[in-house]
Amino acid sequence: MIDWTAFLIVAAITWFSAMAIVAAYSFGVRLLAVAKDEGRNQSLSNAGAYACFAICGLIVLFGVVLIVPQLSEAILGFSSSH
Amino acid sequence: MDLTLIVVLVIALALFFDFTNGFHDTANAMATPIATGAISPKKAVALAAILNLVGAFLSTEVAKTISGGIINEDPTSGVAIGPAMIFAGLMGAVIWNLFTWLLGLPSSSSHALFGGLVGAAIVGAGFASVNYSVLLSKVLLPALCAPVIAGISAYLCTKLAYAITKRENGAAPKRGGFRYGQIFSSSLVALSHGTNDAQKTMGIITLTLVASGLQDSDSGVQFWVVATCAFAIALGTYTGGWRIIATMGSGLTDVKPAQGFAAEMSTASAILTSSHLGFALSTTQVASGSVIGSGMGRKGGEVRWGTAGRIALGWLFTLPAAAAVGGVAAAITHLGTIGIVIVAIAGTGAMLTIWFLSRKQPHDHESNISDIDNSGAAVNILTKKERRAKAKAEAKLAKAAAAQKEADNS
Repeated sequence: MIDWTAFLIVAAITWFSAMAIVAAYSFGVRLLAVAKDEGRNQSLSNAGAYACFAICGLIVLFGVVLIVPQLSEAILGFSSSH
Repeated sequence: MDLTLIVVLVIALALFFDFTNGFHDTANAMATPIATGAISPKKAVALAAILNLVGAFLSTEVAKTISGGIINEDPTSGVAIGPAMIFAGLMGAVIWNLFTWLLGLPSSSSHALFGGLVGAAIVGAGFASVNYSVLLSKVLLPALCAPVIAGISAYLCTKLAYAITKRENGAAPKRGGFRYGQIFSSSLVALSHGTNDAQKTMGIITLTLVASGLQDSDSGVQFWVVATCAFAIALGTYTGGWRIIATMGSGLTDVKPAQGFAAEMSTASAILTSSHLGFALSTTQVASGSVIGSGMGRKGGEVRWGTAGRIALGWLFTLPAAAAVGGVAAAITHLGTIGIVIVAIAGTGAMLTIWFLSRKQPHDHESNISDIDNSGAAVNILTKKERRAKAKAEAKLAKAAAAQKEADNS
């Protein structure tokens, strides 16, 4: 009766998405710190940092698309709603 | 009593519940970025209100769990319970919520809602009216699992964030960037709050419409229901924000930006995923799990299990207590129209009394501006000095044990 796979899905997706976003953001923060070091290519590090922040935003956007049935049907061509 | 009048009464009370929910939970999302100065209070509160509004429109899975799952269907009337019983259940939830707020007890408004509804259904229509397998798999088990999942996630994320930003050869890690990240993560928490909590009210209103024969039991949530619930929770969030601003500067748990970012990301991910699968969660409980998990992930983090246990005990108590209040209210509504009038008047009287009492006495728990702040107190972060002292004491004990062993062997 109890749908245990649903709990596994919640756990796996929570862990994966939270860690992916935190990792991307942390690399961004680190690159911003590196950019201030002596003898580094400042603009390259900064660009890398903003690319990392953009990845965070993209992961969140993808999540929202998955949740909203209308959006996931329009963009991904399928809906994961029940 | 006129059928439509009771429906209007239930909808009004449900929207009031939605409003108090937003009012109560603003602090959970926005307290940390305001405290660290990453965003001005006015902007934070407006942002939280808008994101709650948007979040409420994203999904209707949780609303479907409530309107079409927990209460069994009845072949003759659509659902096993009538609008009067839903009214009684809601009254039980609202009164229990205000009562725990007055006493400063940890409680969950979502569990009060389910407790009140289940209590009223059992008293009003017998034990067979509640679908216990849905109650277990969509409400009770998620209540246990989701905070643990979020806590583990927050622990791992905190470790990860500190590991990635750690610099070699003594360079400053410059983790200030996480302060601005917290605007982003707090916004996601506000969004996820809208997707889960606003939907509970949508579910209740849809259940009422089905129970009174105004809607088919297998149809989804109507758009005007989604829209009114979204606005009620957004208005509550916006109004509740002024309370945070007024009490700002009072003791906030020691949460560092990187840790707060990790905790909020875990909270938002867990709530959004759960909402999508139709799990009706308490957002406060998930956020508390994350705060405790992220505290453990920091160097020298220790959990005060006593404090954590007390909070968990308060949560366990919520469902049966609200069920009792809802059950009593349902028993009174059995008297017919006069019963509904009694419940409405007594309920309003109780709400006003609690409100006046709360104005008279300054309460201690107001110094803690949010519920998750209470959970923050369950984690003790040792300072460098304390950590060294502890390591020394442990080493001494180990040495003594080794010496003892040697003495035993010889």
